Amino acid sequence: MSGGGGDGAASALERLAAHRPDGFPHLIAARERTDDALRALRARFAAARASGGAGDAGLGDVAGGELAVGRLPYAWAAGALPSDAAVVLLGSWGRRELTAGSDDDWLLLVDGPPRDGLGVAVDAVREVLGGERAGPGPQGSFGTVAFGNDLVQHIGLEDDDNRNLTRRMLLMLESVPVVGDEVHRAVWTQVLDRYMSDSRTDRRGPPRLFLNDVMRYWRTIAVDFAGKHRETDEKWGLRNAKLRTSRKMLFAGGLVPILRCHALRHADAAELLAAQLALPATDRVADAFLDAGQPDAGARCLGAYDRWTGMLGDPAVRDELSALDRETAMASLTFREVRRLAAELQNGLLALLFETSLAPAVREYAIF
Amino acid sequence: MMPLSALNETRPMLAHHPIGASTGFLVEDRGDWPALVDAAAALSPFTAELAALSELELPGLLAYLLGAGDEVPAFRYLSVHAPSKDLKLSEPKLVDCLARLPASVDAIVVHPDIVDDPGEYRRLGARLVLENMDTRKNVGRTADELAPLFAELPDAGLCLDVAHARDVDPTMAGAHALLDRFAGRLRHLHVSSLDADGHHVPLTDADEAAFGPVLKRCRDVPWLLEAPLPS
Repeated sequence: MSGGGGDGAASALERLAAHRPDGFPHLIAARERTDDALRALRARFAAARASGGAGDAGLGDVAGGELAVGRLPYAWAAGALPSDAAVVLLGSWGRRELTAGSDDDWLLLVDGPPRDGLGVAVDAVREVLGGERAGPGPQGSFGTVAFGNDLVQHIGLEDDDNRNLTRRMLLMLESVPVVGDEVHRAVWTQVLDRYMSDSRTDRRGPPRLFLNDVMRYWRTIAVDFAGKHRETDEKWGLRNAKLRTSRKMLFAGGLVPILRCHALRHADAAELLAAQLALPATDRVADAFLDAGQPDAGARCLGAYDRWTGMLGDPAVRDELSALDRETAMASLTFREVRRLAAELQNGLLALLFETSLAPAVREYAIF
Repeated sequence: MMPLSALNETRPMLAHHPIGASTGFLVEDRGDWPALVDAAAALSPFTAELAALSELELPGLLAYLLGAGDEVPAFRYLSVHAPSKDLKLSEPKLVDCLARLPASVDAIVVHPDIVDDPGEYRRLGARLVLENMDTRKNVGRTADELAPLFAELPDAGLCLDVAHARDVDPTMAGAHALLDRFAGRLRHLHVSSLDADGHHVPLTDADEAAFGPVLKRCRDVPWLLEAPLPS
């Protein structure tokens, strides 16, 4: 969960950047880009909400003509967005790593049990968000409604299908609300409480249910990548590059804070997780490197990720990677550079996990 | 009370991964690349450096890497040490040969003292890795001496030879200066001790202790042994 902006104090990423001559220019720029885009979206929703009560007044009347969104005012006027719902953006938005080619993966998150009658609200959200950026992918996990009860109560077993697991993980690890901050926070807290309530309060250690769920999610992503490309290599290069980098950062951004709970009492662990998961994944990882006394390795690790972020924002790079299949990838200097950067990222994370004070916790909890 | 994990702080060699071999010290198999690669893989299947220290060895290494296909173990990080002696080829032709190394080679280590025209080496891109030199050389020993080369080779990485660094500055301040200046370029380490003639020999306890603070700053990169492990 990302708050979508800083409070003025230097972030962990900024503190780690002091250990590199050129800092992390692409990541810092991406944060500013994300914050600007988020502010614009919030303004757009606020304008839509304001226009909703104005009968047939067009949104342009409210927002100076630049935010016209068709029939949306009528949807809002009809009370399309219920008070127990939030519009939540996921992925690069939640990581504060927005680039020109980022998808707008979003959910209409409802705090409560499943119910019907939210189609108008989903249409309204889609209309406000849609347009100039890429919408959610075709898998159906996003761009629709998700219910808090499913995310909170269906952890494990048959009802916790791939889609539910994905939504829960992205909510916890990389999400940011555009509308309905309190609803988003409430569901997020319920999931965290559920994870914490399942771990023993009389022992120190990481919440095992949360740890297992995060590790399960990472393995699911990796297995699904193979499954997705068993029959077609379409977009193999770009997906492989993201698996090595952005997806790995997502995983590490969950794994590392959870393992950092290994020496904490239950209440302190909950507090640490609430604080850490409110930050972007890169801040969580940067903070762990600094806390472990490994600024050099951290600077190289996040430096590689910074370079990748810069590459991902280049449309020509995205196009080249998208066109690669597994047979042709290694002939591409661009793919080879991504592979090198991904290795630096992984090597840094492995050093953090296995060659610092985290190592005993990894051995104790991360394998079995 | 100090936590047990602090042991990692005092003996970094105990915890590090990956540690691999440079084939440079496997003198009995010199020229027999399949045997050298097998020996390196026996120490670590994750990382290795194939050392063609003499230019005479480079054609055989190229032929082996280009022709052996799946016979070459898939190291996670594979370095090739470019020739530094018996140099006969012109610089462009030498770089031509190095550029032909297959994509499975992640790093190509070059001694700064053989570089006459840095522009030629730009063709190696991010695979080019410059190694800091010992006191037998008069270039590339310190951060200040390497800086102009790196300025002309923006994508090049650094191979920190900790024994060379101690040879140049026994306090290891020079090694820290290299890391301070070029930390973002660091790709891997060469680890060994040096004898009185500057030859790589197994790591001594004194050197391991002296190297400790530097090794702690380099836990995220492969460490390649340029001499056998101490028995």
